[in-house]
Amino acid sequence: MEPPTVEGGGEGGPTVGQATGSGPGRILVAVYALLALAATGRSILQISEYFHRAPVAYLLSALAAVIYLVATVALARGGHTAVRVATVSCSIELVGVLVVGVLSYVDTAAFPDKTVWSHFGAGYGYVPLVLPVLGLLWLRRHRQSR
Amino acid sequence: MLLPLSIVLLVLCAVLALGAAYYLLRHSLIDDRLLAVAGLLEVGLLVQLVVGLAHAGDIGGADGATFVAYLFTVVIVPPFVVFLAIKEKTGWAMGVILVGAFVCAVLIGRLEQVWGMAHA
Repeated sequence: MEPPTVEGGGEGGPTVGQATGSGPGRILVAVYALLALAATGRSILQISEYFHRAPVAYLLSALAAVIYLVATVALARGGHTAVRVATVSCSIELVGVLVVGVLSYVDTAAFPDKTVWSHFGAGYGYVPLVLPVLGLLWLRRHRQSR
Repeated sequence: MLLPLSIVLLVLCAVLALGAAYYLLRHSLIDDRLLAVAGLLEVGLLVQLVVGLAHAGDIGGADGATFVAYLFTVVIVPPFVVFLAIKEKTGWAMGVILVGAFVCAVLIGRLEQVWGMAHA
């Protein structure tokens, strides 16, 4: 069941870097891409339709969307720089979901509406909380195996 | 949304997920049969998109915008996960399909929810 981490030679892409985007990484990329899509869609809606309700929360929402996009692309691409970018963006996501998660319980006035990160991502099945952890673990394993 | 259409779509999601799980256990990769199921689901989702857009005006406001956003999002999911699954030559390919089928089902459920709230 456990495929080797170094793949990519199989289909004409002999770069070692592809490894982060294949095997289990393929699922990570898929979930990241879908979350990026969801976050982008939601933040566009929030900012265009009712920005005045909670500017801080909605700007954070937009920031989250951008970071998810960056993480998706970096994980899919692989390679030295991409792995570093992915590590940084996963870390920011983890900090973001934890900080906003706590804030959304403490300061309910600032977060009247669900954003991707509020209540630790409960509105998205806690995927935003779990995903960066899985991402960082995956990146770590990838780094060790090289 | 139209309940019969949603039910058909949810059944297709379930068939796709079960098929992917079966393939996963048998260690097979994506083939024409599974592609056909994904294709059928996609056709259904496109029908939903057309029907949904025709009725999006009934909902209106921010909920209407959410509704339209979901309609478009769900259409992207099957081709995207199939693309990833075709590129992946290990058992994880079926995992991607499973994720995709689940996300489609959730989005179809959400569409039904938003629709229901507007027509309550």
